[in-house]
Amino acid sequence: METKDQAYFKRLANQLMFDVSDQEIKELQTEFEILEEQIKMLERINTDGVEEMIYPFEQETQFLRDDVVDHTIAREDALENVKAVMAGHVHVPKVVK
Amino acid sequence: MELSSINKNNIRETVLQAIKKAKALQPALNAVVTFVDVEEQLQKLEMMDPQLPLYGVPVVLKDNVNTKGILTTASSRMLSNYIPVYDAHIVEKLKDAGAIIIAKASMDELGMGGTNLSAYTGPVNNPYDTTRISGGSSGGSAVLTAAGVTPIAIGTDTGDSIRKPAAYNGVIGMKPTYGRISRYGIIPYASSLDHVGYFSTSIEDACVALSVLAGRDDRDMTSSYEAVPNYLQSLNSDMQGKRIAIIDNVQNAITDSKIKENFNTLIEQMKQRGAIVESVHLNEDLLSVILPTYYILANAEATANHSNLDGIRFGMREDGDSVEEVMIHSRTKGFSTNIRKRFVVGSYSLFVENQDKLFRKAQKVRRLLVDEVKHVLDTYDATIVSATGSIAPHPQDSIDEQLSSEYLIAENHMILGNFSGYPSMTIPSGFVDDMPVGINLMAKPFDEQTLFNLGKAIQEETGLKGKTVEVKL
Repeated sequence: METKDQAYFKRLANQLMFDVSDQEIKELQTEFEILEEQIKMLERINTDGVEEMIYPFEQETQFLRDDVVDHTIAREDALENVKAVMAGHVHVPKVVK
Repeated sequence: MELSSINKNNIRETVLQAIKKAKALQPALNAVVTFVDVEEQLQKLEMMDPQLPLYGVPVVLKDNVNTKGILTTASSRMLSNYIPVYDAHIVEKLKDAGAIIIAKASMDELGMGGTNLSAYTGPVNNPYDTTRISGGSSGGSAVLTAAGVTPIAIGTDTGDSIRKPAAYNGVIGMKPTYGRISRYGIIPYASSLDHVGYFSTSIEDACVALSVLAGRDDRDMTSSYEAVPNYLQSLNSDMQGKRIAIIDNVQNAITDSKIKENFNTLIEQMKQRGAIVESVHLNEDLLSVILPTYYILANAEATANHSNLDGIRFGMREDGDSVEEVMIHSRTKGFSTNIRKRFVVGSYSLFVENQDKLFRKAQKVRRLLVDEVKHVLDTYDATIVSATGSIAPHPQDSIDEQLSSEYLIAENHMILGNFSGYPSMTIPSGFVDDMPVGINLMAKPFDEQTLFNLGKAIQEETGLKGKTVEVKL
C-alpha cells in the first residue's frame, strides 16, 4: 500500500462530499496501517475459483409483473417533513449561479 | 416483563406505567431518544380484538425503524430532524397485532458500532451496572427489555448488534434468517448483512414475536416466501438425540475462566438432557479474517447506502454557496468522526484499482466462511458458543466494531450469522461477577424452531425465564 499523506485523505473525503480534520487524518493513517496488516491476512486465504458471495441466499424473490399503482404517498404527507414549501413543491436554496 | 404479565383488562394503565418507568430510568440509562404519544394508538386498540397476539403490549423500536409522523434519527445528528412519512413494514405488523409503540430507542450512530457510545444523544448505560456499556448497536432496546420496561423491543443486527447487547444485558436477542422479517422502512447500514430482530425475556415471547413479525413483503426484494410457522405451538425442550456442535476455535479464544466455566456447566446440562454435544474445529485462518472481511464489506455497502444523506435529499442542511458546498458542510457536520472514517475505508475498497484486492476478495472469503458453517450444520442441528469473551466492559475498556488486531475470533464470531444469513440467537446463561453472560446458538436457514427449542431447554436449566433487573437509581 502506498504512503498516504494528508492531501490523499483530504481528497478522498472530499470525493465523498465531506471534510476531515487533521486529527481525523492522523487516526485514519493509523487505521490504514491496521487495514494493511489485515489485508495481508486476507491475501493469505486461497480464493482461487471461489465465486463472490453478494447476498446470503441466491434465490429469486422478485418477479416481473405489470405496472400497478401501489404504495403512493399523498402530497400533504410527502411535504409534511419538508423544511420549506413553495407552491406545493419542495423549496430548496438557490445554489446555481 | 413477559407477555403473560400484561393485564389485558387495563391496557391503558399498563402502557402508561411502562412509559412512566422508562422516563424514570432515563437519567440512569439514557436509552430513549423519543417518547411516543400513545393516545391515538390506545383509541384504535379499543376497536381491536383482545385475542390478538400483542394486544395492548407496550413495545420499543430501535430508532432506525421508520415511524410515520414520529422523529426517527438513527441516533445521528444528520437525521436529527427526520420525520418519516410512512411506517416500516414491521411497524404495520406490530400495530396490526395490537402492540402499542411507546418509544424510539437509542443506538450507535446509523447502526455502525458495537458499544452504543456513539449515539447522538449520548451513551446508553448497562442496567446491571450503569458505569458499564450497554453494547450496541441496539443498546437502547436491549436495556429497556432488561430493565423490565417492555416485554419485547425491536433491534437490528448487521454484525452482532442484537446478540452482543443481549449477552451484556441478560436478555434474549434473536436475529432470524435473512429474509425472514422485512426490512422495508428500516434505515439501512449494509444491505447484504442487515437483519431485523428483537429482544425478549422469555423464549415463549420470542416465539410469539417472530410469528408476528415474519413473512413475505413485496416491498423488500430480499423478503422470503417461506411459510411462517406457529413457533410457540411447536415449542419443545426435549433434547434427546439433538446434535449440537461447539465451535472450539471460539471457546479456545476466550481467556476468562469464569465465562468458560459458565459455558461448560451448561454443556454438561445439555448432555444430561440427552443432547449429543461435540466439538468441531473450523479453519482458524478463515475465522481470523472475519473482522476485516466484515469491515470491508459493511463499510463499502454503508458508503453507498448513505450517499443520499447529503442535506438536500435527506438530513440536516447546512448553508453553502454551491450544491457541493451544501453537501460537504452538511455531511461534515452531520456525521461523527467515526462514521466519516468508515466511509473513507468503504469508499477506498470500492476504488476500481482496489476492488479485486479488497471488495471482491472479501466477498470470496465470505463464501468460504459460510461454507465452513454450512458444512458443520450439514451434520448438526445447531452450533453453540459463548456469545462474548467478557462481561459488558467499561467505556474506556470497550473495543468498538472497528479494526483491531486483538479479539479477532472471541469478539467477532457472531458475524458468521450475518455472512450466512442463518438464524442466530443469544440467550442468558447466568452471571459472572454479578454481570450477565450469554450463550449464542446458530441453526440452519429458516430453522428458528430449533433455536427456540434449544433456548427453551437452556431457559429451564438456568431458571432465568422472565429475568429483569431493578436499576439502582
